[in-house]
Amino acid sequence: MFQFQHVPAQDGYTPRRSTYWTVLFLGFMTLLLSVVPSEAADTLVVYSGRAERLIKPVLDAFQTKTGIQVELLSSGTTELVNRLQVEGDRTPADVLITNDAGSLERARELGLFRPMNLREVDRAIPSQFRAADNSWIGLSGRFWIVVYNTKQVKPEEITSLLDLANPKWKGKIAIPNAGSEYLQAGISVIKAAQGHDRTTAFLKGLKNNAGNRVYGKSSQIVDAVSKGEVGVGIVNHYYVYRQLAQDPNAPIAALMPDQQEGGMGAIMNVAGIGVLKGTAHLDSAKLLVEFLVAQAGQKMFAELNKEYPLHPEVQADPALPPRDSFRAALVPLARLAELREPTMMLIEDAGLR
Amino acid sequence: MTASVLRHHALSPMQVLVVGIAGLLSLPLLYVMYRALTADTAIWGRLWRTRLPELLWNTFSLACSVGLLTFALGVSLAWLVTRLDFPGRRIWEWALVLPLAMPTYVLAYVYSYLLGTHGPVDRFWQAIAGPGTHIFAPQSFWGVTVVMALDTFPFVYLLTRTALLSMNVSFEEVARSCGIRPWQTFLRVTLPLLRPSIFAGVSLVVLYVVSDFGAVSLLRYQTLTYAVYQQMTGRYDYAAASVLSVLLVVFAIVFFASERWFRNRSRFYQTGGRFRRPTPQPLSLAGRMGALVITASTFLLSFGIPAGLLMWWSTDAFQEGLLDHRFIEFTWNTILLSGMAASSAVLLGIPVAYLATRQPTWLNHVCLHATYAGYVLPGPVAALALLVLAIAVVPGVYGTVYLLILAYVVHYLPVGLQSLEPAIQQVTPNVEEAARTLGCNIGGALRRVTIPLIWNGFVSAWTLMFLQCMKELPATLLLRPVGFDTLAVRVWLEASEELYTSAAAPALLIVVLSLPALALLVARDWKNTEIAT
Repeated sequence: MFQFQHVPAQDGYTPRRSTYWTVLFLGFMTLLLSVVPSEAADTLVVYSGRAERLIKPVLDAFQTKTGIQVELLSSGTTELVNRLQVEGDRTPADVLITNDAGSLERARELGLFRPMNLREVDRAIPSQFRAADNSWIGLSGRFWIVVYNTKQVKPEEITSLLDLANPKWKGKIAIPNAGSEYLQAGISVIKAAQGHDRTTAFLKGLKNNAGNRVYGKSSQIVDAVSKGEVGVGIVNHYYVYRQLAQDPNAPIAALMPDQQEGGMGAIMNVAGIGVLKGTAHLDSAKLLVEFLVAQAGQKMFAELNKEYPLHPEVQADPALPPRDSFRAALVPLARLAELREPTMMLIEDAGLR
Repeated sequence: MTASVLRHHALSPMQVLVVGIAGLLSLPLLYVMYRALTADTAIWGRLWRTRLPELLWNTFSLACSVGLLTFALGVSLAWLVTRLDFPGRRIWEWALVLPLAMPTYVLAYVYSYLLGTHGPVDRFWQAIAGPGTHIFAPQSFWGVTVVMALDTFPFVYLLTRTALLSMNVSFEEVARSCGIRPWQTFLRVTLPLLRPSIFAGVSLVVLYVVSDFGAVSLLRYQTLTYAVYQQMTGRYDYAAASVLSVLLVVFAIVFFASERWFRNRSRFYQTGGRFRRPTPQPLSLAGRMGALVITASTFLLSFGIPAGLLMWWSTDAFQEGLLDHRFIEFTWNTILLSGMAASSAVLLGIPVAYLATRQPTWLNHVCLHATYAGYVLPGPVAALALLVLAIAVVPGVYGTVYLLILAYVVHYLPVGLQSLEPAIQQVTPNVEEAARTLGCNIGGALRRVTIPLIWNGFVSAWTLMFLQCMKELPATLLLRPVGFDTLAVRVWLEASEELYTSAAAPALLIVVLSLPALALLVARDWKNTEIAT
């Protein structure tokens, strides 16, 4: 295939040059082999399925406060759960942070977590946002909402997420891809609330309307809506408010769907944390959990990320609609794990990417 | 007599080594085949019903369109710089190789900005054609085609150029003297003679397109490789990903086989006689301008403008304080990994290529072909297979850079073998034996005769693999140790969040680091051409 010309040097034999290079090459190899970074023994290793820029500032603050070194591996939530399952006892990770309660519950079912009883946690986080045995703990709330371009769309046009399957939105809507955890969680909730048939119809409509506007990241969807490439998108609420905080003139707004009389309510999910069973740094891991659920940590999620803090005494960002001004859908978060596989089938059968 | 006995004894452990290497490198493919073939048939059915026709069609049509476009671009540019005389010919001749330093995902993200809504081109277009109109989007079939072709045409260009330079011009002169017109001569004489090189170049492009992950993910174009990655990162089982990868493997094997068949049918030999180097033809003023416009605009679109934009964004990032000490770490990690991977691959490749050449037994040929297994496996899948196998067999390696290096070796060794194999083939055993009879011992003969003779192939192989490893994305994403990011990973993480300025500095660094390696490769190629002619 790749054939640059390899005519051997015709000036014949040049032992000195090649000996020199061989020595250099072997020296290089030895050098490289000797400097492979080794893991410091007392660092806390965090696997995080959240976008790096949403979690790194908080972990940096923890590191500054406690002096505990944190090593972060940012990747996809599902990918990390898969990876932890394969790694088993060999995992270098001490804690797992994800953007989705369903994945946390799934990890709990796989026996990856170590149940914890921390007084701080019981005080700070209401029990509906934790696993039954406290093996995972919710940290911040997020709502799956509709973002719309204020120049192109009037908010009255949409009352429910299900409206987005209406053919009138063809070519005007951006959605996350089928591998996205909140899409899977959101569809699970819709299926629990609306039933199989309506959900299937919704997915087919969504697929038709979105075309190739299927994105890997919420930030891309917000960007597309803000540029006017599409009129509406489905994202987690805080991406909209983060964008507005950066650029107050962006022509976008968030719309809380399904608040109408008898509607299912807005779809809620939580980002959360679990301590892995085999951690060798239990004390540091506990300190991290305590830091994140305490008022200071919760304020960071509220202020930096524009998420809803779960600690009842911490206020959400004033730019956000107050938490008591809208209803959330009534599907327990822990059920998201068991709903996920059938939901996945539904999503795939509808042909979503 | 003594020599052959000694050689026989010296090769036995080597045989074991070669079988071991081949076994190790083909394990990932075997594992994935096993997973796919034992997968629930319902998975095959569901994939076929819902996704496969679209994915197969997308992958196939993209490979075809990029192949055709690179064919047109590469051949015409090679023809321009070798046969016609126009301003700056010598400069364009090497400048057109530079896009090889630009990873496809970098070009993809630069063009998402340039052509995207409210990007500079879009605004300019609206100023001319009126508001509400849009130039074609980079996130479309044609957008992906253009981005990929701009990045991969140098493969075709380089190989065609070399062939044009080493081709005997008297063939063309004979045709001309028989009264055939220049254009006809090109079609009926020159092009058929170039066919093997062009095929080689285009097939490199096609394999590149089929296995690319970075560009298609940033441009949201669904190919099999991208779908494999999505299945792996969005679902709780790897079976569907394995099924999709096996289809990719079949695709690649069919392609390989047909490429070999075509190439075997089109071999041409210079059977003695005189050889003359073509002299570039002078052109009319209009012709010179036309040639200049074509070469310059291809260069600007594929390298000049993107590189300029990256520099501009990087200065912004620098002023905003986005470049911190971590960048030194990312750069170091990238060089470390690529260097180690390229070196290990060369060391593993030499015995395999050596045995296959010197002792062409069926076993050695099987070993040689087995090492090609990793090339047809998409990056994410090879990574997954290694992850699972490492934990099951050698858990100590898991989570270290060594596993990542192994993934690179599995994936890129075939690229290196393409240079190592012919280099070793060109050294006849007689030379070594002559050295031995003149009083060298085995080591001396190797050091003073064999190594200097294969040195060129050795360096080309190392450099090519180094270049590829620096850009590698999916395996790095899936296998990197905790806290160990490379420049490529940084580009992808930032670019996929639409953070243009943050992605620019690591992207620029990849380009800058690639340049010396590329220069080495090209200088060698240029020099050899001079010698060959």
